[in-house]
Amino acid sequence: MHLPHFLRVTRIIMSPVVQLLVKRLSISIIVLIGVSMLIFTIARIIPGDPARIALGPNATAEQVANLRDKLHLDEPIYIQYAKFVSDFAHGDLGISLYTNRPVTTDIAQFLPATLELVFVAGIFMIGFGIPLGILSARYRGRVADNIIRVVSLLGVSAPSFVWAVILMLLFAFFLPLFPIAGQISDTLPVPPRITGFLLIDSLLAGDFKVFASAAHHIVLPAFALALSGIGQAARLTRANMVETYDKPYIEMAQSYGFPEKRIANRYAFRPSLIPSLTIIGLDFAAMLGNAFLVEAVYAWPGLSRYGVQVILRKDLNAIVGTVLVISATFLVVNIIVDLLIAFINPRIRYAGRS
Amino acid sequence: MNIFAKTIAAACVSASILALAAAAPAQAETVLRLDEVAVGELDPAKASDYADSILMFNVYDTLVLPAQGAPGLVPHLAKSWSADGNNHIFNLRDDVKFQSGNPMSADDVVFSLQRMQELGSGLSYLFANVESVEAVDEHTVMFVLKEPYAPFVSSMLRLPIVDKKLVMENLGAGDGEMGDWGQAYLSGNAAGTGAYKVSSHNPQQETVMAKNADYFLDIQDAAPDTVRLRYGLEPATVRTLIAQGEHDISSQWLPPEVLKALSKDGAQLLTESGGGGFYVKMNTTKAPLDDMECRLALSNAFDYGSAIKMIAVTDDVSQGSPATGAIPVGMLGANPSTDDLARDMDAAKRHLEACRYNPDDFNIEISWIAEVPLEERFALLMQANFNELGIKSEIKKMPWALFAEQVSKPENTPHISQLFVNAVTGDPDTLLYGMYDSKNAGTWQSPEYLNDADVDDLLEEGRVNTDVAAREKAYKALNARLMAIAPTIYGYDRQSVFAASDRVKVPALSDPSKAFGLDGMGFSFRLMEMQDKS
Repeated sequence: MHLPHFLRVTRIIMSPVVQLLVKRLSISIIVLIGVSMLIFTIARIIPGDPARIALGPNATAEQVANLRDKLHLDEPIYIQYAKFVSDFAHGDLGISLYTNRPVTTDIAQFLPATLELVFVAGIFMIGFGIPLGILSARYRGRVADNIIRVVSLLGVSAPSFVWAVILMLLFAFFLPLFPIAGQISDTLPVPPRITGFLLIDSLLAGDFKVFASAAHHIVLPAFALALSGIGQAARLTRANMVETYDKPYIEMAQSYGFPEKRIANRYAFRPSLIPSLTIIGLDFAAMLGNAFLVEAVYAWPGLSRYGVQVILRKDLNAIVGTVLVISATFLVVNIIVDLLIAFINPRIRYAGRS
Repeated sequence: MNIFAKTIAAACVSASILALAAAAPAQAETVLRLDEVAVGELDPAKASDYADSILMFNVYDTLVLPAQGAPGLVPHLAKSWSADGNNHIFNLRDDVKFQSGNPMSADDVVFSLQRMQELGSGLSYLFANVESVEAVDEHTVMFVLKEPYAPFVSSMLRLPIVDKKLVMENLGAGDGEMGDWGQAYLSGNAAGTGAYKVSSHNPQQETVMAKNADYFLDIQDAAPDTVRLRYGLEPATVRTLIAQGEHDISSQWLPPEVLKALSKDGAQLLTESGGGGFYVKMNTTKAPLDDMECRLALSNAFDYGSAIKMIAVTDDVSQGSPATGAIPVGMLGANPSTDDLARDMDAAKRHLEACRYNPDDFNIEISWIAEVPLEERFALLMQANFNELGIKSEIKKMPWALFAEQVSKPENTPHISQLFVNAVTGDPDTLLYGMYDSKNAGTWQSPEYLNDADVDDLLEEGRVNTDVAAREKAYKALNARLMAIAPTIYGYDRQSVFAASDRVKVPALSDPSKAFGLDGMGFSFRLMEMQDKS
C-alpha cells in the first residue's frame, strides 16, 4: 500500500465522525442486548398464560399444557433465553401466537407500512414545523407569531390519537376529502412487493394511479401523527432562533442592512438548527411507538398496531421481536441524527484536524 | 407570511390532485365490505373466534349445516348419516370439488379430522372423544367414538373439510412424516370446497374473497362477487366509513351508542342469536356464596329489566332478550320465552334471611373483564341492586389474561365473574357441560366451582342418551335444577347486533325463519344479496 493512500485511510478511520459512528454502533449493540434481556423477562412476568390466551377460551387443559411444552414455558427463564439467542442467531424469532406465522414474516410485512407512515409524518414535521418556527421567530411578538405559538402549543399538548379522530371527523366525516381506512383504495390492485413501501413500489411499477391513491390515503394518518412533532419543531426552532437573534453577528448583519429574509434563513436559522435537530430526531423515532393509535384509527396495517395486539395477547415471541425491531430503528435514527449534527456542526467535524 | 401561504396553497392543491387522481372508476362487480376483530385465522383447524368462523363457513364446508329457522341439522357435504352405538357413518356427496379442482372424498374427511386432533388448537376438543376415523369407501366415512356422545353429529359443524392432496403438496418443515401438517401453507392459503375463494389474506388487515364459480351448490347472482373482511376497525372509523358509503356491515362489537347513531342515520340493524347468554357466575366455594340461599338472594335482587334496557339499541332491537333460565330460549330444554326472569325483592329478602351468613360480615367482589367495557355497567348495576339488600360489594376490573389465570384456583376466583358463553355447535351440551360439570371446574367458563351430583347426572344423561325426547327431558330437568341452586345469575340471552348499509340484504340475519342459530353462520356470503352495483 502506498503511503499517501495509507495516510488517507488512517485519516478517515481516525476522523471524529467515524469514531463517533463506531462508538454509537458499539453502544447500540449493548443497548439491544440489554433490551432483549429486559423485554424477554418482562414479557414472561406479566400476568396471564400465553398458551391459554393463544388457544382461546375453549381450549382444554391438555391443549394448553401441550402448547406450554412446545414454547418451553415450563423451563427456567435463562434456558428459554439461551434458546431464543440460539434461534435469533439463525434469523428465527419463533412463531407468533397471534397470527400463527413466523414473527420475521409478520415484521417483514408490517414494518414497511409503519416506516412509510413515520417517514411521511417526519417530512410533514420538518416541512411544516421548521418553516413555522422560522416565521414565528422572524415576526416575533406580532400576530403571526402569536397564532403560530398557540397552534404549536395545541399540537404539542393533544396526543396523536386525538388529532387522528379530529382530523377524521373534519376531513372525512363532515368534509369527505380523504379516505380513512387502509393504504390504498379497495378497487386498485396492490403493486408487486419490492421494497414493501407502497409509495415506492407503485412508482417502481409505474402505476401512478396506485401512487396517487397511496399518497391520498397516507395524508391524514401521517398528519395526525406529525402534528405533535410539528408543534414541537416550530416551538424549538422559534426559541433557538430568537436566542440567536440576540447574538452580535445578527445585530451586525442588521446594521449593515442585510434583508430580513436572508438574516432569518441563513444567519439565524442554521445555528439554531442543531439543538432542534436533536429533538426532531428523537421525535421522529418516538413516532414509531406513538403510531399505534393512529394506525388503529386509520386501520393502517403497521407494526405498531401489531405490537399492541401482541402485547395484549401476551404473544411472547412477537413482543420480543417487535420491541427489538423498534429499538433498533430508534437507535439507527439516533445515529443518523448524531451524524447529521456532526456534519452540520463544524466544531465536531473539524475537531480532530487540529 | 409568504412561505406559510405558499405551503398551505401547495397542500390544498396537492390534496385536490390526489383526490382526483385516486378516484377509482365505477366497478362492474359487487363488493361487500365488513369488519371483525383481528386477527383473521385462515387455518380452519385453528378457528375459534367470530372472524375465524366467518372465514371457515365461507371458504370451507362441513358435512352438515344447521337447519334454517328450526332446530336440527341438514345434509351438506354429507348426503345422509346414521349412528350405530359408538359408530357414526356419513355418506358423502360425489359431486363436490375443492377450489383446487381436486375431487372431495372420504380420505379428505379422515385427513381433516386427524389434522385437527394432531394440531390440538381451536375447537379440536370437540373431537377428543373420537377414537378412530376411517374411509369405508370413496364416499363413506366412519367415526368410532370412545364413549357415547349424543350430539356428535352437531360437532361436525366445526369440522371443515380440507383438501388433503393440496395440503400434502405443501407440507412445511416439522417433526415426523407430516411435517407441519400444512400449517404454514394454510395460514395464508385456502384448501376448501367453499363458496368463496381467498384472493389475499393479511391476518391483521383484511381477507379478500371472491365467489367460487365452481361451487357445488348454486350461488345466487345477487351474492357479492368480492368480499373484503377487514380486521380491527375502530368504532369511529366504522361509523365514518358507513356514513361515506364505504362499508357495508359492522362487527357486533360496536358500542350500543354507535349502533344507535348509525341506526338513526339510516343503517339497518341485523341480528344473530347464536345460542348463548350473559352469565353472572358466583363462586360457590367462597363464603357467603357457598350458601345457596345467599346466591338465591342475589339472583332475585338482580334487576333483569334494567339489564335489558342497558343493552337496547333501539325500541325494537337489543343486544339481548330476557333470559328464562340457564338454557337460552330456542335451545333444547329451554323454558318458553314467556317465562322471563324478573326481579323479586321480597323473595330476595326471604332468601337472605334464610342464609346462614350475616351480610354485614362480607364484601362481595364483583369482577369485570377489562376488555369488555359493558361489564362495568353491569357491575355497577349489581352493586346498586345488592346494596338494596344491605350487601356491600366492591368492583374489580380484571384483564382477561389475569382472570383466566386466577380462576384456576377457587380461593383466587372472585365472588362474582361476568361472562358471555355460547354453544359452539348450537347444542346445549357445548354450552352447559363446560360450565357446570364438576370435573370441569376452574376454567374460565366455570368459575362457579359447582359440585352438584344431580347436575352432573343430568349433564351425563344429555350427553349419552341419543333419544331426542329423552335429552330434552334431561335438559329441562337440568335447567330447573340450575335455577333452584342458582350457581349463576342468568342475565340475558345474548343476541349479536350489526349495523349495515342498505346496499346489502342478509336474510339469515334479518328473517328469523332463515336464521341458523349458530354464531357466524349468518355470514354465509352466498346467501346475501347486494342491492346494486357499486
